[in-house]
Amino acid sequence: MRQHQSILEYRRGRYLKLALALCAGAIAAYVWHEPPVTYLKPYGGTWLGYTLGTLCAVLVLWLMMLGVRKRSYRSTLGTVQGWTSAHVYIGATLALLASLHCAFEFGWNVHTLAYALMIVVIASGFFGVYAYARYPGMVTDNLAGETLETMLLKLADLDRKCRQLALDLPDEINAIVIKASRAPREMGPPGRTSWWMQVMNTECRVRAACDVLMKASTRNLTPAQIKVNEQLIAEMTRKSALTDRVRRDLRFRRLLQAWLYVHVPLSFALLAAVIAHVIAVFYFW
Amino acid sequence: MQILVTYVSVGRQGQVQRDQRRVDGAVLGVGRGTHCEIHLADARVALNHARITVTAAGATIEAQSGSVEVNGHAAAAAALAVGDRIEIGPYEMVVEAPPGGLPLALSVKLGRPLPVRGISLRRALARRPPVSKRRLSYIAFLSVLLLCLLIPMTSDLLDQWHGAHAVPPSGSEMSQDVLHAMSGKFTKVWNPGPVSRSHQIFGSDCRACHEYPFVQVRDGACLACHKEIKEHVARTQLTGQQGLSFAEARCAECHRDHKGIQMAPRAQEQCADCHRNIKAFAAKAGSDNVTDFRVDHPAFRLSMLDAAAPGVVRRVRQGGKGSAALVENSNLKFNHALHMDRAGVRSPGSEKRTVLECSSCHQPVDGGRLMAPISMEKHCQECHSLAFEPKLTQRQVPHGSEKAIATMLREFYARLVLGDAAPGVPAPEDVQRRRPGAVLTTSDRQQALRIADERAQRALRDLFETREVCKTCHDVSRDGSGWKVAPVAVTSHWMPQARFTHGKHTAQSCTTCHDVTKSKESRDVGMPDIGKCRECHVGARAVMDKVTSDCTTCHRFHAGRDRWHGPASLTSQREARSRK
Repeated sequence: MRQHQSILEYRRGRYLKLALALCAGAIAAYVWHEPPVTYLKPYGGTWLGYTLGTLCAVLVLWLMMLGVRKRSYRSTLGTVQGWTSAHVYIGATLALLASLHCAFEFGWNVHTLAYALMIVVIASGFFGVYAYARYPGMVTDNLAGETLETMLLKLADLDRKCRQLALDLPDEINAIVIKASRAPREMGPPGRTSWWMQVMNTECRVRAACDVLMKASTRNLTPAQIKVNEQLIAEMTRKSALTDRVRRDLRFRRLLQAWLYVHVPLSFALLAAVIAHVIAVFYFW
Repeated sequence: MQILVTYVSVGRQGQVQRDQRRVDGAVLGVGRGTHCEIHLADARVALNHARITVTAAGATIEAQSGSVEVNGHAAAAAALAVGDRIEIGPYEMVVEAPPGGLPLALSVKLGRPLPVRGISLRRALARRPPVSKRRLSYIAFLSVLLLCLLIPMTSDLLDQWHGAHAVPPSGSEMSQDVLHAMSGKFTKVWNPGPVSRSHQIFGSDCRACHEYPFVQVRDGACLACHKEIKEHVARTQLTGQQGLSFAEARCAECHRDHKGIQMAPRAQEQCADCHRNIKAFAAKAGSDNVTDFRVDHPAFRLSMLDAAAPGVVRRVRQGGKGSAALVENSNLKFNHALHMDRAGVRSPGSEKRTVLECSSCHQPVDGGRLMAPISMEKHCQECHSLAFEPKLTQRQVPHGSEKAIATMLREFYARLVLGDAAPGVPAPEDVQRRRPGAVLTTSDRQQALRIADERAQRALRDLFETREVCKTCHDVSRDGSGWKVAPVAVTSHWMPQARFTHGKHTAQSCTTCHDVTKSKESRDVGMPDIGKCRECHVGARAVMDKVTSDCTTCHRFHAGRDRWHGPASLTSQREARSRK
């Protein structure tokens, strides 16, 4: 038995087949269906429109239930893996079903708002699937057998070493090293917005300091200092490489979380828009 | 083979402790793992960091998964000599002079213990976005619900409540207007699509059509404005399950608003739904089944008046078995062939012949839908004079009533015999000439009036019988009270169900459709049949070089009865029969 199975391949793509069948059925019904008033294009108010609309609304509720199901550790209603696999495929199908429900008619109103929110939620979900297919491998490659903790410890170690070496060097170089050994902004003190910086991977102080050190003139240094300086540059380069890896690791971790900050809140906005859509449609029937 | 490893540690007071161990083996692992011979328990050291190989020739170190520095320089592999300093992560190893018999002695010292402060993992990973997913979800859900549902709905309900409970004279009128306008603005976000053109004028007032929440638009809302709209067919004529379901259909089932600027169905399929088998909807329907103009449309039925049955419309289908009845009984005599002679017709007072065109008599009215009625005075009298005493006068009798003619003639001759003739009218020879100013006796007057009556009677006979004046066009009979002209019934609405207009067919000549150039009798019907129309028109399916025509090209759905059956004063033959 394989150790790892992607949710996309769950039970040999059982839910992919289900989703394709759903798509095919919906398209066939849409093509076959004739609106009761023949001059009309298909729209949400025909029997097929109501059927597809009800199906979509139920699917939205069910897709959102994944958040409940994955927290119900005692539940034996399928597996979370199965649920997630179905969530991905059925969620993608929803885009087609809703498009057929509205018959590709859009406007500046609540109804299209619900559609647009749904599309954004599904698109962010696609990013999530992509992220989970791509980043875990990259995280592993980047860690190269280490853990973030050991990398951070090593970083602190290198940092101390650099500061030690810089003590013997002129003030300018010392200042550069000290500045570079301050906690990176991404790991700054609590309360500072560093989460997005981790996602965005802003420019690195250490790398910048490294560049400055390498270009700095050594004319005023004694031979002993030149030797120390070379050592310092070597350590700083190592530190820079390590910092890069740490930052990359953090960035991957953040990317794996970031899409959920779009996916989940907007799916709740979608739920509200669907409620508003349904009530509005029947309020002024 | 054994080597000596001394672990050096510094106590709290700074006292140095040396813990010596002997380790077996020619190859010694250095690393974090407990399987390593030189076990360096620190997270900064790799599991298998380096390897020391001791041979008879000497000892070498090679880096494995960690980096090794020998005397301050990174080295992948290096031979070890006494006094060498090896850095492995935070550890510092020094090659010491081995005691006798041993090939190698190392001292191991933790140079840089784990930092107490510094970058903690928890701090690095504890970063969260400023707002949690949960809070964002609440905000998103509630704000959409508020903006898209609660505000529009509340504004609408408030507007309704205020409209129902407002106290008229106070300043609340102003606030009501504002509230109404606001409600229109807020509920706009619910509008699923553009309002049809004719409804745009009250487009923001949802309640104009949607009278009650959660109730479908009712016909009453439509009929509030469309008071004059006519039913397609009277409800009493609809029969059967299907007929009843048609009768109960709401306006909005066909007329869906918010679907663009048009909301009138123009689809043949919808007509054909019932007219494919019309008896299933109205058992007594008089019309034939029809689905498409080109493929499946019965021959035209002409609606004709009949002089013999005044006030009744005869409907006769062209072609087929009933076509024997396809004659017009108008009680008029008219010879189209004679009048349309290409050589022209003679006209009085002119040597030249006048060539008559169709338009000489037939002029379109009502945008070309109908032709103006032919009028004796306008179209005929120029040639067909009604002069009664051409030798004496050019005066003519009025066209129309027999009584009016008789009265006019009596008056004319009375004045003549009483010597009061109009200037230029000479007295007839048999009338006794009188002296001007002579006073008439009663017997003279009676004598004169008797003569006048005789002359009038002679002129009447002349007009109605002897000379072919009235009889040129009319049937004239005589009974006790005098001459009678048979009543005339000229059909004007031949196809009242068709939305035909001559205005759109001006590119054609009249005779293309109405070929009456050889017709000698007024009985002949000059209406074109369906084949003539099909020369240009096809059904709903387009055909190259033909005019695509669906049902509504020629027919109206809400036409109503009087439009279909000619003037409202007329009844159809069927109705006339059923009345008897």
